[in-house]
Amino acid sequence: MRLLGSILYDSVYHTTPILLCVLGGIFAYKAGVLNIALEGFMLSASFMSMLVAGLTGSVALGYAAAFASCLVLWLVFSYMGVTRRGNVIIIGLAINMLVPAIAGFVLQIMGTANLTLPWLNVGDMKVNLPLIRDIPVLGNMLSGHPVTTYLAFLMIPLMGVLMYRTRLGVYIRVVGENEDAARSLGLRTDRYKYLAVLIGALFAAFAGVNLSMERMALFTNNMTAGRGFIAIAAIYCGRGSPAGSAMYAIVFGVARALAVNLGLFAGPAASLIDIVPYVVMTLVLTMVSVVKRRNNRLRGFVGG
Amino acid sequence: MKKVLSLFIACLMVVGVFSVATAEAPKSLKIAVVCSAAGRNDNGYNQSAVEGAEAVAAELGAECNVVQPENGVPAALETLAEDGYNLIFNLEYDFDALIKGVGGAQPIAAQYPDTWFVVFNANPNVNDAGETIHKNVISVLFDVHEGSYLAGYLSVLVNENATALFGEGYQFTPPEQARALGFIGGTDSSGIKVFSYGFIEGANKAAAELGVTYDYYAKYDAGFGDPALGSTVAGTYYDNGANVVYGVAGSVGDGITAKAKEVGKLAIQVDANKDDQQPGYVLTSVLKNTNVPVTVLARAYADGSIATLGNLQTYNLASGATGITDLSEIGKAVVDTAKWEEIKAKVAAIAADIAGGAIKVVNAQVGETFDPAACPNIVIK
Repeated sequence: MRLLGSILYDSVYHTTPILLCVLGGIFAYKAGVLNIALEGFMLSASFMSMLVAGLTGSVALGYAAAFASCLVLWLVFSYMGVTRRGNVIIIGLAINMLVPAIAGFVLQIMGTANLTLPWLNVGDMKVNLPLIRDIPVLGNMLSGHPVTTYLAFLMIPLMGVLMYRTRLGVYIRVVGENEDAARSLGLRTDRYKYLAVLIGALFAAFAGVNLSMERMALFTNNMTAGRGFIAIAAIYCGRGSPAGSAMYAIVFGVARALAVNLGLFAGPAASLIDIVPYVVMTLVLTMVSVVKRRNNRLRGFVGG
Repeated sequence: MKKVLSLFIACLMVVGVFSVATAEAPKSLKIAVVCSAAGRNDNGYNQSAVEGAEAVAAELGAECNVVQPENGVPAALETLAEDGYNLIFNLEYDFDALIKGVGGAQPIAAQYPDTWFVVFNANPNVNDAGETIHKNVISVLFDVHEGSYLAGYLSVLVNENATALFGEGYQFTPPEQARALGFIGGTDSSGIKVFSYGFIEGANKAAAELGVTYDYYAKYDAGFGDPALGSTVAGTYYDNGANVVYGVAGSVGDGITAKAKEVGKLAIQVDANKDDQQPGYVLTSVLKNTNVPVTVLARAYADGSIATLGNLQTYNLASGATGITDLSEIGKAVVDTAKWEEIKAKVAAIAADIAGGAIKVVNAQVGETFDPAACPNIVIK
């Protein structure tokens, strides 16, 4: 019973940063400016939140710094990729390489290998929900998380609404699906692309803070460890739909939690569970493209 | 005009040859340290070597250069050797270009036969028959299993008295409820397991003395980069009654210490003295004091005995190159000082036994096998 509880809790723990990246990233995906720099955005938020919180002694300023750094990266990415029409993959790659380099440089100057906050007890960052936490097993999963975690899961339906039920969401999707048509209707397509990337930047900032300050009060360089790329894979598998893509993020979180917790009983074999999401994604992506290709062939778009 | 020019060039060449000759005449010692990816300010492994090199260079009147390779270790080694550095320490785990040569190039060690190269944590300088390949390459190994043994021994003693030793703010699982230790390693290799086996043996020693049995949780494939993973894995160990978790997994270990602070228990760090990373929650660190071999080898070079030292050198507890920290940082959190002094004295006695050879610890690094049956007081899960 306790094992189940901690598997559920850790699932939420490991899902959150990926989920946030997914929910923000789907807009850029839909707008046709796929942001592969989510990893870099997230890392910069992790770094700046810990750096500023450490220097000022204020958690709030840590959050502010995380958002500020992501806004700067947002401007860089959008200006290069949207206004200047650069290749977004290359720009994203550059940001992904730039951020750990800057973080490493600053750490070097500070003469330290990582950042910690001795005065911050991460236990205090957790919010225990009254009543809910007393529910057996489920209470363990639903309560005792930092604010951002609750926010992340609440955002799944909200982002669905934003994408499908609001003018902004519709326009963003139109821009991505047919930019010329959108422009012929008088939409200022660049503006919607900027907005789409901005949503991703803000969510990535939350993800970064969640990973470093809220959960561990610790920054080590490259601590995002590929979560941004996992998020991109999840976005592709869910084809940019908030619920679908979120589901893949959750699959990753659950697999990671199983690998962590079952290690006590299965030993090293538990790590095999870590592979499950990758296998699932590979299969899904293959199936999706097979089906797509077949449809195209039936309609005679693809020769042979 | 042509004549004047060629005369001029000829003069230049003579001067050039002459100046090279005078520069090489005294054959002075030039030490170089090539840092690993963690960088020179890592507060440990690299920093220790750099400080050792700078100190011994000052002592011997030698030149000293510290390099953080941006274009890869091989390029750094080649440039330094070309520049006349004659004792080069390579702290990165990157030997192929040095020993075997890559891309059809001659091995760097063979290109510069008069330069001494020192590599750490592995002995790549042997062929399949076990013979030394390059006479000018020295491999340095640390007997970290001995330091880990001390850490294991200390962990059990602390675990048994945890509630009495530490004051408010800790949430130890009382021994009567559960006795457990945890180990998290970066990769499933003998280089990592050597730590774990030493730790098990040390814990077994203390557990046998007390007549108790410990569960041992271990994960050997946590990687080196994801502290959040280390944090949650350590969380499961702490949840299952472990009060001490030992991490040998780079920044994954930083996640373990963060978790220790969160749950009010203890973690053990590795390589450098990281006791102050989360003050009061890092029990100790198992050390690799790289300054010791750096100093020994530089002095040996200076007095000309370096060629007689042997191409594989192991630095044990007695050399001071490995061991655990002086426990002063965690000591600040201890309230029962009498008990604490007693524990420290016991650990010191064990350290003396290991250094004196009375206790032999399994060294998986050199191919010794570990037999779990020899540790009946530890139940490996």
